[in-house]
Amino acid sequence: MRLRVRHRTHYSYTDPVTTSHHEARLSPRESEHQRTVSQDIQINPAPATRKRRFDYFGNRTVHFSLSAPHRELEVIATSVVDTVAPPLPPLDATPPWEQIRERLRTDHRRDVLDAFAMTLESPSIPLIEGLREYGQPSFKPELPVLAAVRDLIGRIHEDFVYDPTSTDLLTPLEKVLEQRRGVCQDFAHLAIGCIRSHGLAARYVSGYLLTRPPPGKPRLIGADASHAWVSVWIAEQGWVDFDPTNDIIPADEHLTTAFGRDFSDVTPLRGVLMGSGNHTMTVQVDVSPTT
Amino acid sequence: MPPASQAQQAQAQSSAAAPQYETQPGMRDELRDANGWVRPAWRKFVDHWGRLGPTELASRWETAQQLLHDNGVSYNVYGDPRGMERPWSLSLPPVVIGQEEWQKVAEGLSQRARLLAALLQDLYGQQRSLLEGTLPPAVLYLHPSFLRPLHGAKPPRGLWLPIYGADFVRGQDGMLRVTDDLTQAPSGAGYALENRIAVSKALPELFRECNVQRLALFFRGFRDMLGSLAPHNRDNPRIVLLTAGPYNATYFEQAYLAQYLGITLVAGGDLTVREDRVFLKTLAGLLPVDVILRRVNDDYCDPLELRPDSILGVPGLVQAVRAGNVAIASPLGAGVAQAPALLPYLPRLCRLLLDEELLMPSVETRWCGDPSALRDIESHFDDLLIRPAFPEGRVVSTATALLSSQEKADLLARIRHTPERFVAQERVQATTTPVLINGKLTPRAVMWRAYAIAGQDGEPNVMPGGLARVAGDEAGMQMSMQTGAGSLDVWVLSDEPVTAFSLLPPQHSPVAISRGGADLPSRAADNLYWLGRYAERAEVIARLSRVVSARLAELGSDADVLKSTEIGPLISALNAQTNFLYAADIPRADVRSLAASELALTASVFDANAAGSLASVVRATLRSGRVVRDRISMDTWRVIASLDEELSDLSVSTGSDRLASVHDLLSRVVITLAAFSGLVMESMTRGQAWLFLDIGRRIERAIGLVTLLRSTITLPCDRESALLEAVLEIADSVMTYRRRYLATLQVAPVVDLLLTDETNPRSVVYQLIGLTEHVRRLPMLDGMPVRSAEHRIALGARSELELCEIERICVPDTMGRRPSLETLLRRLGTQLPKLSDSLSESYLAHARLSRHLSMSSPFDSEAPPSSDGEDP
Repeated sequence: MRLRVRHRTHYSYTDPVTTSHHEARLSPRESEHQRTVSQDIQINPAPATRKRRFDYFGNRTVHFSLSAPHRELEVIATSVVDTVAPPLPPLDATPPWEQIRERLRTDHRRDVLDAFAMTLESPSIPLIEGLREYGQPSFKPELPVLAAVRDLIGRIHEDFVYDPTSTDLLTPLEKVLEQRRGVCQDFAHLAIGCIRSHGLAARYVSGYLLTRPPPGKPRLIGADASHAWVSVWIAEQGWVDFDPTNDIIPADEHLTTAFGRDFSDVTPLRGVLMGSGNHTMTVQVDVSPTT
Repeated sequence: MPPASQAQQAQAQSSAAAPQYETQPGMRDELRDANGWVRPAWRKFVDHWGRLGPTELASRWETAQQLLHDNGVSYNVYGDPRGMERPWSLSLPPVVIGQEEWQKVAEGLSQRARLLAALLQDLYGQQRSLLEGTLPPAVLYLHPSFLRPLHGAKPPRGLWLPIYGADFVRGQDGMLRVTDDLTQAPSGAGYALENRIAVSKALPELFRECNVQRLALFFRGFRDMLGSLAPHNRDNPRIVLLTAGPYNATYFEQAYLAQYLGITLVAGGDLTVREDRVFLKTLAGLLPVDVILRRVNDDYCDPLELRPDSILGVPGLVQAVRAGNVAIASPLGAGVAQAPALLPYLPRLCRLLLDEELLMPSVETRWCGDPSALRDIESHFDDLLIRPAFPEGRVVSTATALLSSQEKADLLARIRHTPERFVAQERVQATTTPVLINGKLTPRAVMWRAYAIAGQDGEPNVMPGGLARVAGDEAGMQMSMQTGAGSLDVWVLSDEPVTAFSLLPPQHSPVAISRGGADLPSRAADNLYWLGRYAERAEVIARLSRVVSARLAELGSDADVLKSTEIGPLISALNAQTNFLYAADIPRADVRSLAASELALTASVFDANAAGSLASVVRATLRSGRVVRDRISMDTWRVIASLDEELSDLSVSTGSDRLASVHDLLSRVVITLAAFSGLVMESMTRGQAWLFLDIGRRIERAIGLVTLLRSTITLPCDRESALLEAVLEIADSVMTYRRRYLATLQVAPVVDLLLTDETNPRSVVYQLIGLTEHVRRLPMLDGMPVRSAEHRIALGARSELELCEIERICVPDTMGRRPSLETLLRRLGTQLPKLSDSLSESYLAHARLSRHLSMSSPFDSEAPPSSDGEDP
């Protein structure tokens, strides 16, 4: 499917900002299942510096800074991407989860090391006891790894309420677990924490969802903003994505911009600015099929 | 005579020369061997030491202490409620090490520095150490200083570890073993230097006779190394020392080192990144920075890409590093080589990365994240040192031998829960060395810290000496400065005479005359300005409260309070002052009892929760003063520091003489503040630093006077003379008034003296005259009109006062109020804070804090707009 994404972020400041530094991860990743046709980031006012690089996790990153006083900032990321649904291994035919865990502990090849790094706690996902407890019923002995993860994702979707007013970016995972409410980011962190607590590798995926669903299909949650889901490592067959917010396995309507250990690694747009006063932010995301 | 007996005789003489030192039975000692003989390295030292008698030694020790005290050498102790600052503790004699042994130590440390540099290059590059299974990957991935944004970085000159430090001890077997490698930002080299200066002055003949290897060449190498890293301006690079600020444990040392190396001491807020270059924000504008010697942990250095909660860093710094526009020593990311968890793997890493055997071993360490290590630890849990695997916050280690069986079980449970977070170390029984305690040489456990700096060829050069720390107690358990241990100089003796060389300018050589001062960082100017304001504000409140306490002490009952005509207005003035009502309406205080009046008084003085109370203002004075300690004299700082002590002495006193003691206290505060003003006037050069401090004082004094007059004289009052007397007393102008007008107290002359008399240093117009002069002397900035906004405000207010007819505006209306005077004062009460704002806008805006945008959620466009503004 060919998707067109337009992601506009607008900040307005009550007092002029003299200098600011920003880091954006708003461009799609390249993969076997996702190919970028075109991509562009427009910044207004024009930044004093602008540099592109790939970050530690291979995400396309743009650094820019402004050094003239300004009262607003607009960042518009536009991209056209071709997606295909990744082939999905039969869940019940995947290896037992303990086998994957053992592999992660003993193998030192590059790809396994990278996966191993995703078994450890990270800044936003401390491996608290509650996560292991919550995940445990899904990780029955000898269960195929994807069957276990599928079960966990289903339980999270069942047990937790999507509620944008319940959390913000600083809400700790402990609180999410306790109040059983949150947004896509919280559910992704929660799922990752449960999976890692069992010695498996899971990473945080940031991206978008098709905004306007095909006729007859319901509109999914998280379609009008950035979205987040998780990816699990299953050895030879690589990484498999799960979307706990919608309880689905992403196919060609999910578009990946970045992945990392948790949200803190892949924040779509962040900045530090000099100046007093407050700011307001608006975000508009539009993802539509195109030809 | 056969050589053996000759040696024995020499030993006998030496031990006879130091008969007063008894080692602990069964413990290895640095000075004496197991048979009680003085070890060869110490003989020369002991000979000379023995010639100084106990009295002489005591006086030498005094000399060393005095030198340190005069230089203000101090150390901040975390969690110490009493001002934190402790004098640096130095003991005598130095600990001695022979040239031959030191040579081995230097080789060992130099190799470790090369190894860790190679490890850093590997970890931020291709990670052979992980791929080959030499280092467990969790040791890297869990390390808080593994800075992923720096992966692939290439530091200037390829120097991953330009500065290295190591802590080591000698065990009972005589082997030296490293307990910690320091790659983040090793502290203490400056203290080592201070110790050396003090000890060499206290024991000059010993220092000379023993051929002690000098430290100065090492520091010259340090300075040269920093300069050599500069990506631009190699000829004359601007080098700064980035400090975490005055609350950091070793702030004094950082300030000292910066001064000794001739580089500028800066905090994160002094630097800014523009167009991927780092600049120092000064009053004269932005000056490019080429090299940063950092004493801030690397993860705190850039809130954009590293720890977002850091307020110590410089936004955009990582990008400036990537662009190759600034060098940081040690490079961002170097902290990852500092972790107890690495110690067990160093021998294998040394073979892999250097193809060498590790020369200087570490203390036996196991990382609990290794399952087999964990099993071993569980079975030998009774005599281990359990430490965090990674440096996190304040390092706490636990000796299991000191735990009860319940505590042991709890600790073991914590280790089993997150084994990768802990290491277990063999507990080393360190050797003892003699320390002079109460005139007697006493054995104390000793631990060394040494330093290495990359030389011109990139090879590490080890400082010949360093810092030795001795335990604060006999059992040798308290080794950290944070827990009261002391320090010793380390003397590496040379077999040949050493050449003297010093980085300090020779005393008699001519020094180029310079006036300097143009590069005053804006943040320093900001703090000097507020130091001036807070100190003056403290004086205003103290003077006012003192008069209130004196008047209250004269009253016997509540009836007296009701009869008194001045208590009400004075307490109103106190309220207006402590609630910042400079231009707002001032409510007349309705006090009807002694108790209520006393309460109002004590709240204004002691209530630490009220921002305007004397207690809070004194604390704010200290805070500002601490930031600019390197710019005010030692005496001035001591005066400021004593204020807080005075205030906390009395905050608990109660009883019938309470008013009297409050009065005494306030008198002492007033005198202390007068000492501060005197020092500022007499001992600060009239550079920009003084200018900002004095501008602050004058603005605050003018505001204080305006507020005092508004809350007293503009409002109706039955018996004005008592109130006028009090007002004059508060404004320290009683004598002048008496001399001029004898005893007749009238409003117009009082107002003239306090408002428009340009000869009275306590009048408002006197402050404004000073301000117009000062403001004119501030540097002209780009785009500034000929007369700056602050100049126009000061000039406007001054002219208004100079032109006003005092007699006319002091005439009361039928209600007894003085509306014209009130209008004039209220305008001043508005203009003076505007002057302050305008100054901040022009000169101090650089000093503002930065804020984050990333705290706004991108997930939900309907979420309420975030606001995270900050107070100035």
